[in-house]
Amino acid sequence: MNILLNDNFDLKTYITNGGYNALKKSFTLKPEEIIEEVKKSGLRGRGGAGFPTGLKWSFIPKTKTQKYIVCNSDESEPGTFKDREIIHKNPHSIIEGMIIAGYAIGASKGYFYIRGEFAREARIMEKSIYEAKEAGYLGKNILKSGFDFDIVVVRGAGAYICGEETALLESIEGKQGKPRIKPPFPAVKGLYGCPTVINNVETLASVPYIVIYGGENYSKIGVEKSSGTKLFSVSGPVKKPGVYEIPLGLSFKTFFYDWLGGMKEGEELKAVIPGGSSVPVITAEEAMNTKLDYESLQKIGTMLGSGGMIIIPKSQCMVELLYVLARFYHHESCGQCTPCREGSGWIEKTLNKILNYKAKKQDLDLIVDISNNMMGRTICPLADALAMPVISFVQKFREEFESHIEGNCKICGK
Amino acid sequence: MPKVIIDGKEFIAKENETVLNVAERNGIYIPRYCYHPALSIAGNCRMCLVEIEKMPKLQIACATTVTDGMVIHTQTEKVKKARQDVLEFLLLNHPLDCPICDQVGECYLQDYYMEYGLKKSRIDLKDKNRKPKRRDIGKHLILDNERCILCTRCVRFCEEVTKTSELFINSRGDHSFIDIKTEEKLDNDYSLNIADICPVGAFTSKDFRFKERVYRLSSTSSICLSCATGCKIKVQHNNGKIYRILPDPNIYTNTWICDNGRMSYKITAGPDRLTKSIIKSEEHHLNKAIIKLFDILKEAKEKNLKIAILLSDYLSIEDNFALYYLGFEILKTDLIYASKEKEQKIEDGILINKDKTPNSNAVSQISKLYGIKKYEDLKDCDLLIGFYDDIEKLNIPKNKSVALSYKADKEYDNLIAIKTYFETEGSFINWQYFLRKTAPSVSAPTDTISVYDLCLKISELFGYYPKEKELNKIFNELKYKTED
Ligand SMILES: Cc1cc2nc3c(=O)[nH]c(=O)nc-3n(C[C@H](O)[C@H](O)[C@H](O)COP(=O)(O)O)c2cc1C
Ligand code: SF4
Ligand code: SF4
Ligand code: SF4
Ligand code: FES
Repeated sequence: MNILLNDNFDLKTYITNGGYNALKKSFTLKPEEIIEEVKKSGLRGRGGAGFPTGLKWSFIPKTKTQKYIVCNSDESEPGTFKDREIIHKNPHSIIEGMIIAGYAIGASKGYFYIRGEFAREARIMEKSIYEAKEAGYLGKNILKSGFDFDIVVVRGAGAYICGEETALLESIEGKQGKPRIKPPFPAVKGLYGCPTVINNVETLASVPYIVIYGGENYSKIGVEKSSGTKLFSVSGPVKKPGVYEIPLGLSFKTFFYDWLGGMKEGEELKAVIPGGSSVPVITAEEAMNTKLDYESLQKIGTMLGSGGMIIIPKSQCMVELLYVLARFYHHESCGQCTPCREGSGWIEKTLNKILNYKAKKQDLDLIVDISNNMMGRTICPLADALAMPVISFVQKFREEFESHIEGNCKICGK
Repeated sequence: MPKVIIDGKEFIAKENETVLNVAERNGIYIPRYCYHPALSIAGNCRMCLVEIEKMPKLQIACATTVTDGMVIHTQTEKVKKARQDVLEFLLLNHPLDCPICDQVGECYLQDYYMEYGLKKSRIDLKDKNRKPKRRDIGKHLILDNERCILCTRCVRFCEEVTKTSELFINSRGDHSFIDIKTEEKLDNDYSLNIADICPVGAFTSKDFRFKERVYRLSSTSSICLSCATGCKIKVQHNNGKIYRILPDPNIYTNTWICDNGRMSYKITAGPDRLTKSIIKSEEHHLNKAIIKLFDILKEAKEKNLKIAILLSDYLSIEDNFALYYLGFEILKTDLIYASKEKEQKIEDGILINKDKTPNSNAVSQISKLYGIKKYEDLKDCDLLIGFYDDIEKLNIPKNKSVALSYKADKEYDNLIAIKTYFETEGSFINWQYFLRKTAPSVSAPTDTISVYDLCLKISELFGYYPKEKELNKIFNELKYKTED
């Protein structure tokens, strides 16, 4: 799919490599036909939830009212750094994907919402949008098709929660980044109350390929319900950490040994967080027996998520790691819903005690209990994104937590 | 119309009605904090979670609209557990202020704790988050951030009702706290409603703080007389003392009340309350005062002096008609005056009326019916009887006046101490033409009298015994509406 093709960042090279041909082809199709192709491709949202993209587009009412495309480039989840790579290496694929999506749903305006810390990336996008506009791919009457489309870059202000799609909309509207209650879903009432499609960077960057090669061909990549390729951003002590584009359904084992080169000298694999810090952790054994696709990971109780893979070595204390995660989610909770607001702080405080050998025995069950009491009871899934790791960490590595209660952790040696 | 089943019983819902509303209409109460019938839905407290068949997760009743065939459970173990857990979260960082908190007796935390909580705290006291306390946030309000459960009712009130948007949530997560946007204070005209809608003791009224426990208060339904809107109110009192006024929400006139109306009870017990009448600059007990007033009137009548009577937009229909009767039938004067018609409209888009009197719609009708002159035509008289506030506005020498008053004023030679409408009944026609009555909630000082009784007594001294029917006939002649 060449999402990560080198040197594809300037317009000239992009066009030499067939760039914007998908857009030209799109204008020969009816909007419904494009949605149909995307449906056929089986493309699922790459932002974390894995919602079928074509289906999402088809929810947009066929009225003539103002509609919006929003590209979610907030990428702030610990362990996830794949969208940034697309911006660096292939920014025009995102722009082209946004224009096609806009044409498909009848939106004349797109917002590119980018994480506040991505200053350089925001500049890249602005420059690329300028280039595209100069070349007539954006603006009024694009390629004489009669279709108008423009993209505005909006920079976030450093809040992870603004990656949640409705908090993101609030943020664009200039309000505090607090998720909205759903329904109404953005497809009905999104940005400024208008029907809106929000897609992840990687999702939109996959669209031009689907248009050019057809949905059916795309769906042949990968496995049944997990079609296409997926980016994984891999961190941790493997020989070759980084961002990889792999066909879905690849076995973890192959990926781990053949692509990542296995663990660094002296390190041994203990656990894997396969899809970004919000998903349940799996043990090395579970990892070695799984494939990397939506269904396989779901089967073993975790998720593909955003593809932010964190490799955890035996030398890493799980209590310490979970504490870092809890601190993050506590810090990033927007504070609207009671369970998330109170529960995230409570978990962090209790984990802090556990980490520092100040906890009582029942505190271990307490954090699991708090997590269960938060799960599924809030406005957005951020509460679950803390609760699920806590439950899985304690369940799978209970003895490490117990050693912190008894006062003899051999790993962190604290 | 969608049919739904709640806890095994079938109900007909309205289109787009929420689960919480359908349940409530049918007597099934779902606990809530952030939901308020007059504000937008926030869905943040998560107290109203219920189980809906075919939905894997619990749903919030306040924001979920019913669909035909929906099967809802509000009493399952799962629901009860969720309520208990939400309460535990809410109380987690809550201070143990109850002994000194004004909300006691009307606190949703206490009430629900008794009903759904009853769980021992699982956090050490020293681990609780601390937040600012006792913040002087405006003319009428004190804010205790530690007690706040962040339901955002106050924020939404200022955004949606007064549209002044003074409040917002500062910071995030469990550091969130209600804060004020500007350097200014929370001084909108309706600020005390916030103390009412705050489900806990976070916003409290400066006026009411520490004065009385709410469970000792009795409530009397009445109406506010501070403007022509005539909001329905609840006057709360104990042992003959009024402690506060609350709105009595209704579909006809008001959900809220303004701060000015809320403070209007102060006339009953302020330091300048007139408790004994003054005649010729001397204080008298009631009976003596009536006789002295009679003497003055008799003398004036015998001397053929010009006696003027003022009807008042501040006084009830009964009192005005008794004054008219006294003037026309007894004193036989044709110098009876009333104010000219006033422009009435809600001047702030909320409740406060341009007309700051409560009864001009009745008085202007009486004026028309009985050919009563306007204040402006009052050029000259030897003796004037009228309500204090009206006399104050006219240019009539104070020594020629007999002022019916709640308030002491040394500049007057003659003041009759009358009862306030917190102490006596009276009928008023508001700007929408609703006829409503005040109800006495406390007893008046012994030496005060209602204007109606005063007029009756004087008439009797003149040898007239008007039948009640005669005085009440005015109601047949007035135009008004009643609530159905
Ligand atoms: C707390 C939180 C943070 C999120 N952050 C991101 C993000 O940074 N980027 C992203 O694309 N989606 C993020 N999501 C998912 C979005 O809400 C949304 O599902 C996604 O943007 C939809 O795009 P897709 O269908 O193309 O995946 C986040 C969700 C939550 C709950
Ligand atoms: S779950 Fe947490 S982050 Fe999400 S809306 Fe509720 S409080 Fe905010
Ligand atoms: S101050 Fe009261 S009304 Fe406002 S958010 Fe807190 S608890 Fe709710
Ligand atoms: S708006 Fe008028 S009637 Fe209503 S409370 Fe205020 S003063 Fe009283
Ligand atoms: S009352 Fe429904 S969430 Fe607060």
